[in-house]
Amino acid sequence: MKKRYILIGLLILTVLLAGCGAKKAANTNDLNNDGIKDTLVIGAAAEINTLDLLSQNDQINNIVLKTTHETLLYPTNDGKFLPKLAESYEYTDDTTLVLKLNPNVKFHDGTPMTAEDVKFTLELCLNSTASSSMAGLVSVDVIDEYTVQLNLESYNNEFLVNLASVPVSIQSKKAYDSGMDQPYLVGTGPYKFEEWKSGEFVSVVKNENYWDAENAGKADKIIWKPILEASSRVIALQNGEIDVCIDPPINELDSLEKDKNVTVLEKPGTRLFYFAFNVTKEPWDNKTLRQAVASAINRDDVMEVAVFGKGTKQTTILNRGLWGFYDEMEGFPYNPERAKELMAEAGYPDGGITAKLLIANSSPYTNIATVIQANLKAIGIDVVIEEVEDATLKEASVKGEQELYLWRWNEDQKVDWVYGDLFRTGSSYNYQHFSDEHADDLIQKVLVEPDEKKRYDYGVELQEYLVEECPQVPLYIANLVIAYNKNLKGDYLFGGGNHDWSHAYVAMEVK
Amino acid sequence: MWKYILKRLIQMIPAILITSFIIYFSMNLTSGDPAMLVAGEKATPAQVEQVRQELGLNDPIVIRYLKYMGGMIRGDLGTSYVTKQDVFKTFMSRLPATLELSFASVLIAVLVSIPLGIYTAVNQNSWKDTAGMIFALFGVSMPNFWLGLMLIVLFSLNLGWFPSSGRAGFQSLVLPAVTVGLGLAALITRTTRSSMLDVIRQDYMRTARAKGASERRVIYKHGLNNALIPIITVIGLQLSNVLTGSVLAETVFSWPGIGRLIFDHISKRDTPMVTGAIIMCSILMCLVNLVVDIVYAFFDPRIKAQYVQK
Repeated sequence: MKKRYILIGLLILTVLLAGCGAKKAANTNDLNNDGIKDTLVIGAAAEINTLDLLSQNDQINNIVLKTTHETLLYPTNDGKFLPKLAESYEYTDDTTLVLKLNPNVKFHDGTPMTAEDVKFTLELCLNSTASSSMAGLVSVDVIDEYTVQLNLESYNNEFLVNLASVPVSIQSKKAYDSGMDQPYLVGTGPYKFEEWKSGEFVSVVKNENYWDAENAGKADKIIWKPILEASSRVIALQNGEIDVCIDPPINELDSLEKDKNVTVLEKPGTRLFYFAFNVTKEPWDNKTLRQAVASAINRDDVMEVAVFGKGTKQTTILNRGLWGFYDEMEGFPYNPERAKELMAEAGYPDGGITAKLLIANSSPYTNIATVIQANLKAIGIDVVIEEVEDATLKEASVKGEQELYLWRWNEDQKVDWVYGDLFRTGSSYNYQHFSDEHADDLIQKVLVEPDEKKRYDYGVELQEYLVEECPQVPLYIANLVIAYNKNLKGDYLFGGGNHDWSHAYVAMEVK
Repeated sequence: MWKYILKRLIQMIPAILITSFIIYFSMNLTSGDPAMLVAGEKATPAQVEQVRQELGLNDPIVIRYLKYMGGMIRGDLGTSYVTKQDVFKTFMSRLPATLELSFASVLIAVLVSIPLGIYTAVNQNSWKDTAGMIFALFGVSMPNFWLGLMLIVLFSLNLGWFPSSGRAGFQSLVLPAVTVGLGLAALITRTTRSSMLDVIRQDYMRTARAKGASERRVIYKHGLNNALIPIITVIGLQLSNVLTGSVLAETVFSWPGIGRLIFDHISKRDTPMVTGAIIMCSILMCLVNLVVDIVYAFFDPRIKAQYVQK
């Protein structure tokens, strides 16, 4: 009898708990009055960690925040910057930037956005861990209700880009002054924050009083569901539980393409995967030896095992799509004979080198490392692969403890976040510990030269120089691959993955 | 009995202190600078240093640990480095999902495994026994990651009976609970079978039969009652394991449980979140063990008598 009670108790408890958690799932089949599916559901490949603009740095958080917040300038898909919250901007001299704000902009709570909010936001940013987003800003002056003046340390070509980065989205001073919980959720965007259930979903709803009626959101609601397992994400898409599958597994694309309800889109990405040396460690301080290694790596094989060939081989160190991208240099394409010659020239005619290759213990690094290990064996270099977590790899690389390593860099807006961050002497992300006066000089010129033609030439020279110096061997740029409901409309996809879903929607199927 | 429960609750304190010590120090000994991870890839060294100061990472580890424990005594498990959310609140927001999955999967396991275990024991060395044991072997050896995907393909994609992922009511609980439950059922089946085989040969079973009791009564009343203690032990252990997270099943089904929370934050070196969540899990485990011990008393009068004496 007692057993039966326990069993019944267990059953009731389970049903009750399930009932407590029961929440009506968004009915993703409902259509709103415009013939648009009312809820757009996006299957994300990563957990959403925080929605505080200034204390987050993951792409998925940025993507959510792009729908609820807006920046002074807006980056377009072709690398240009259009006015958004700022109607216009003007450099009155090299270190003074004056912005005229759009007087129609209103926050979600209905209060107008003024120069005070812009000053408040930029100063908040300067005092936060996201201050690199406002590098070069000294102070902000309010000229009148809708005009602000930004005083800069010195002129640099990329300051405007900062004003288009998500962490610098304009926040409401009034929300912070009110002492409300999570004031950073109040933005000016076409969607308003609705709910975040950790590990389950984040939802935003259409801002019915959006200040820019022409560019208002279409779907009534957007939900992001983290579905970390890639195969589950694909099934959820095929099942109609989600409308968009971010990063479907490459090996399942063929079957996905056969699904008549799904569109698989591939376009050039911006994420560059590379192999690199710690140039302060012997024997990798030997430039010719580095060039020999570069010539020994078969990038076709690397790309095949890493992304089933869905990418673009690359010679230069700059991310594809960035301003000044130049990939015409000869570089060190796969040529085992030349690699052997360079080995001899470097003083290692018989090889005899053993080196440790540090990699992250995840795909695609493990696959790439195996190909490189075989390639380098052919020229007499024995590679020992050491797999570690990302955090361990980063720490070892900052401290300069690694010898060889594999890593990636994704940048789709600022060239200095490639040149400067990865190659400038002393930069914390210069994992190669490369230090070269000529390179530093060119990096600075690209940053501050106002003449576009001269700046471009400096950029090309810098890329050619860095490829020749070879602290890094660029491998390939992975394609951006995304799968979605075939009726998805709206311009929203960015090569670097920083998509803007504000205007995306699923249209009613025409029968 | 109450004295015994109080004593067991007090005994939890050193267990939790030891757990917190081990977790806190092992998280800090693992390489990977949390300040760098929190500041992000584009942060300058000065910003990383600023984050390090904000997180108090410049203090010696012993001081950090003592501060952490000071907070814990006041009921404050700290703030996540990554989400900036209160650890306790985050844990509690994930707990219902974990409890749901745990109880549902254990229930499925019990419903499947105890009858099967008894059946195979009663039919020992027959083809029925072999078939039951093959099922148990299958359950033990099958990765629940794979089983989960197969169930999704069959019941979600092809038949459309259940959602493939997420947590939205009873329907969404079925597939993850079956996935985890079948894994648990295998071990409970084997334990039930061997425990039943032990008691089936006892003299009191023969006596019961000789007294004319029905076979059903002999097996369920005299046999199962005496075989239950090891079975309850295994169920308790299994429940503890599931409560502290079924990372693989939670990942496959996007189930927002504690396992996924801990796993995600370990890779981000989020010491307060990981330590806090594991401390809470160890409290849960201690409580489950306590409940199991109390349940023993319901089934075995000898154990109940011991408690009463205490």
